[in-house]
Amino acid sequence: MSQREGSLDFQADSSISPLPLLEAKIHQTHSLARLLTKYAEQLFQEYVQLQGDPFGRPGFSPPRPPVAGLSAPGAGHAGLPLPERLRLDAGALAALPPLLDAVRRLQAELNPRTALLRRLEEAARRARALGAALEAVLAALGAEPREPRPEPAAAAAAAAAAAAAAAGAFPAKLLGLRVCGLYRDWVSRTEADLGQLVPGGPA
Amino acid sequence: MGPASCLGRPTRMAAGEGRMTSHLRRFLSTFVLLCLMDHASGQRKGAPRDLKCVTSDLQAWDCSWRAPPGAGRDALYDVCIKNRPRTCYQLGKTNTKIPALAPGHYEITISPLQDFGSSISRFILSERNVSLIPDPPEILRLSANFSTSTLHLEWSDKGSAFPRIANVLWEIKVLRTENMELVKLETLHSTLSGEDTVLRWSWASDLPLECAPHSVGLRRYIDDTHFSGRKEWSDWSPLQTVSGSADIQNKAFPQDKVVPVGSDITFCFVTREEVSSAQISNTKYPLIHLDGENVAIEVHNISVSISSGTNVVFMTNKDVYGTVIFAGYPPDIPQKLNCETYDLKEIICTWDPGRPTALLGPRSTSYTLFESFSGESVEFKRVVAPINETYQLFFQVLPNQEIYNFTLNALNPLGQSESTIFINVTEKVCPHTPTSIRVKDINSTAVALSWHLPGSFAKIKLLCQVEINKANSVRELRNVTVKGVDNSNYLIAVDKLSPYTVYAFQIRCSSGTFWKWSKWSSEKQYLTTEAVPSKGPDTWREWRSDGKNLIIYWKPLPMNEANGKILFYNVSCSSEEKTQSLSEIPDPQHKAEIQLDKHDYIISVVAKNSVGSSPPSRIASMEIPNDDLRVEQTIGTGNGVLLTWSYDPNMTCDYVIKWCNASQPQPCLMDWKKVRAHSTEALIQSDQFRPGVRYHFFLYGCRDRGYQLLRSVVGYVEELAPTVAPNFTVEDTSADSILVKWEDIPVEELRGFLRGYVFYFEKGERDTSKMRGLESGRSDVKVKNITDLSQKTLRIADLQGKTSYHLVLRAYTGGGLGPEKGMFVVTKENSVGLIIAILIPVAVAVLVGLVTSVLCYRKREWIKETFYPDIPNPENCKALQFQKAVCEGSSALKTLEMNPCTPNSVEVLETRTAVPKIEDTEITSPVAERAPDGSEAEPENPVAVSYCPPVIEEELANPGAEEAAGTAQVVYIDVQSMYQPQAQPEAEPDAEPGAGGGYKPQMHLPVTPAAGDAAAADGDAEGAAGYRPQASGNAWTLVSPDSPRSTDSGSDAVSFGSPCSINSRQFLIPPKDEDSPPSSGGGWSFTNFFQSKPND
Repeated sequence: MSQREGSLDFQADSSISPLPLLEAKIHQTHSLARLLTKYAEQLFQEYVQLQGDPFGRPGFSPPRPPVAGLSAPGAGHAGLPLPERLRLDAGALAALPPLLDAVRRLQAELNPRTALLRRLEEAARRARALGAALEAVLAALGAEPREPRPEPAAAAAAAAAAAAAAAGAFPAKLLGLRVCGLYRDWVSRTEADLGQLVPGGPA
Repeated sequence: MGPASCLGRPTRMAAGEGRMTSHLRRFLSTFVLLCLMDHASGQRKGAPRDLKCVTSDLQAWDCSWRAPPGAGRDALYDVCIKNRPRTCYQLGKTNTKIPALAPGHYEITISPLQDFGSSISRFILSERNVSLIPDPPEILRLSANFSTSTLHLEWSDKGSAFPRIANVLWEIKVLRTENMELVKLETLHSTLSGEDTVLRWSWASDLPLECAPHSVGLRRYIDDTHFSGRKEWSDWSPLQTVSGSADIQNKAFPQDKVVPVGSDITFCFVTREEVSSAQISNTKYPLIHLDGENVAIEVHNISVSISSGTNVVFMTNKDVYGTVIFAGYPPDIPQKLNCETYDLKEIICTWDPGRPTALLGPRSTSYTLFESFSGESVEFKRVVAPINETYQLFFQVLPNQEIYNFTLNALNPLGQSESTIFINVTEKVCPHTPTSIRVKDINSTAVALSWHLPGSFAKIKLLCQVEINKANSVRELRNVTVKGVDNSNYLIAVDKLSPYTVYAFQIRCSSGTFWKWSKWSSEKQYLTTEAVPSKGPDTWREWRSDGKNLIIYWKPLPMNEANGKILFYNVSCSSEEKTQSLSEIPDPQHKAEIQLDKHDYIISVVAKNSVGSSPPSRIASMEIPNDDLRVEQTIGTGNGVLLTWSYDPNMTCDYVIKWCNASQPQPCLMDWKKVRAHSTEALIQSDQFRPGVRYHFFLYGCRDRGYQLLRSVVGYVEELAPTVAPNFTVEDTSADSILVKWEDIPVEELRGFLRGYVFYFEKGERDTSKMRGLESGRSDVKVKNITDLSQKTLRIADLQGKTSYHLVLRAYTGGGLGPEKGMFVVTKENSVGLIIAILIPVAVAVLVGLVTSVLCYRKREWIKETFYPDIPNPENCKALQFQKAVCEGSSALKTLEMNPCTPNSVEVLETRTAVPKIEDTEITSPVAERAPDGSEAEPENPVAVSYCPPVIEEELANPGAEEAAGTAQVVYIDVQSMYQPQAQPEAEPDAEPGAGGGYKPQMHLPVTPAAGDAAAADGDAEGAAGYRPQASGNAWTLVSPDSPRSTDSGSDAVSFGSPCSINSRQFLIPPKDEDSPPSSGGGWSFTNFFQSKPND
């Protein structure tokens, strides 16, 4: 493993895992993140197209408040140590599936006959898979495990969805826009962060 | 009339005499009016005045008056009403409420109790003077439905307070915003019935109620037709207000509302922030400001929404807010509603929803199927995911009910519609597809067919259709009616089948009262069992060429006659004496050869399968000869050949036509066909026939004893063009003709009956000929059509000699022209013409020469005189006889002064007179005028100067002249030899021109290479007055190559040719120079021509 940010700490703690296996795991997870980044962008574009104007317009950019305690990767994310970044990525990926499920339920009322519902379902499943793979990498690297909190995340997501549904279709659309955007941002961020662990990747 | 007389009756009277006639009322009204006028005129100052009475319920009158000036608040009044049981009241106020008075006029006196003794006021009062002003109505309840933006108002009409039935007008006003803008004013009608009745009114606001407070008030007007007084509107009720939710902030309304396409809608936004803009899709709308920062927009004729609705967005400086509107259509009437059953267990109703509503999800249309006889209904459950939604509902068939009346109701947020259908379910049966098809044998021509058809059809009959397919046959449909059963298994027998035949069975069913067929079942194939062959095989026989062996042919039996698999054949040949048999010839073999003697035999062929033998087929072996036979030709119709023949009563059994490929050796047999005895024609068709192939057909007639060949025909089913061109060669070629010979084309390549040849020819070289397009009728192509097939040669005449011709030959049949074959042939040269062409010019030239010679000979004197006058003999020249003194006295005479003459070879052949010489020497040349320049020309070649005068002089005595005649030259003797040698000795005298009195040459050509010297010499010559040359020597052309260039090399003097001169010999003929080159043709001239005749 090349000496790049954060890698030295992991190397010291990952003596229990054979190095080639770990690298293969990182490669695999990074490839998954890269694939999901493409899918997440497609999901986002399809979502905005189905919501009607002004969602699909380039200049439309409503505020992005945190959703169920999940905010977008901050500007200082890149400045954090890599282990911390990966922990944040894993946490976001754990929080995203219930949010995506909530958006799917909301969209079932608005766009019941589209493939968007299936894509949202797939996105939630893929986010879980990527999160699990990232957790496995973190464990292999000897990083401290992220605090398990899937249940609160699910409850918060359900609450957010219920609130949006009660507020009307427009807030529900905004919630979906926000969640799809977060999904895209976090998957992309995860890909970038994992890229620093991949041999030959950016230092 | 005094006021007292105007008082009406007491109220009781009025009540008791309520039925006063209208005539009397009019009279009383007029009377009261007069009394009041009289009373008013009688008022005095200080008395109560302006008595007014009003009523709200017609039961009590509230009367008031104005106190007299100066009366205090505590003043007491004595009010008296005449004609009433209790007529006077003492009041401490200026109004009183009295029971309603009966119709009539009453005098009312009001007198203050203070000391105003004389200030009593009298009034005449009746109902007409009373105003009916109802009490303001009271709103019982004002509620709002925010989802529909509807206000609901409830109030009581208080009918119990009014004594009788009366019409009531209600006026309702709706005020909006804090500025109380009137947005609605509506008038309602009702009737007071004597009881309190709660009235309700609803109003849908265009502006969502959340966005602004809405206040409602109402008043009433009682229109009592029996009340004669004035009727007025009541006061407005107290306003009741519905406020927008105070705790709502930053919300747009209406939320998720479903509206019809084309509606006008007002959207509002409740906020405390400043709204910058509002838009729908890409369109911005002007803001309508409400209370505070709340705004609204109005949208007219909204268009249909997409699935997720139309977004309405309000933007503030901080955030984006919005709502969604769903614009769609109410449900269309369900179309093509159809109810039927597959199995009489369940009814399936299907329909087409018609126009899409554009509303999906929870807003989509729900359907309910209601059956009116049973009262049962089923609902259509919306399926979220499927894109292609199937609109159908299942209704369980009810026991003992066949008639159903269905109503399909469609409902969505924008409305509802319905469609109905009335059916007898037993007549609407569309069975399922039959399954489990099974076939069993009954015999070789019948099978049992069974299938499974789910359903409870015990109450009805089923009509089923069996499709029977067999190879190479049209499909057969058989209808079968079976009684329905509950166990779903059905069985029928299918007969009239063919033995040993593969059948494919399919089944479909419907109800006996046909509605719809089920789908066809899957195909079931079955092979029926075998039966005995029904016929013997078709048989023919052919004798070998040796006449000893007979080949017996038979055709395999068709399936419908074989009735099974043919295992083998038995052949027997029977005569009166013996029988020969060939047994169990296996099936693939369809011929047998047997050796027979000359007896007549009857051949019998029998086919056998596993069940039994066919009837035998018989044919006689004998072939009756026919001497009168010739081969005919025929052309088919493309798919066969039609043979016809005359009826022959001798042919008692049948006719047989056999055929084979004509190229095959005899006897040959491809196939045969038998036709009935009385037939006179037969169309021979075969899959083996090919166009362009010659076939040989033989028609046999059958007599008792055997077959006789009647006709032999060759023909084609279709002629084609030949595939090759005839080979042809050129047998002979002359200057004007070509003989061509060609060969026959083989029959196989001819592909039709030969009709002839087409021969084309044209001029043309191998590389340049353009023989393509010969058929197009080009004028330069000659065509010969040869239809005489026996002709094998062709002579093409009238050709040009030594010319290349392109020849092309093609054969043609009824199918067209075959390919072409060509060659190039060059005709021979015409030698006679060539000879003539040579001889004629030669003869003409000779003739001309002879004529010319004769003419010249006869005119030779004249010619001589004209062209060659005699040159005078210098010896006879007088000039040579000049006196010395004379010569010395005149420098001009020095020309003829002769220096000591140096003998040379110059000979004077003939003397001439001076005059003609002078004329002859008058030859001038432009070059001569440039004599001074002539010294610059070729100074090293000064000797060869030719002269070509037209004058020819004969050489008389010089024997060498004959040789010179052959070279035809005029040779001049160089006079320089006379000059230069003489010049050198006289160099001194030349230096003194005046002293030079000797001979000077007429022409001076410098011998020395120094031009300057030559020029100097010229200058000297010019200075002399002697003879000058007439032309410059270098201007003369060299025409006589044998002119002496350097004569007499042994002498110092250089011979120099000179033209004629009067003081020199005209001909200066040098001796024959053996080294001189022979003369060329260019030197030939008439001079030589004449010189060749020295004797002349």
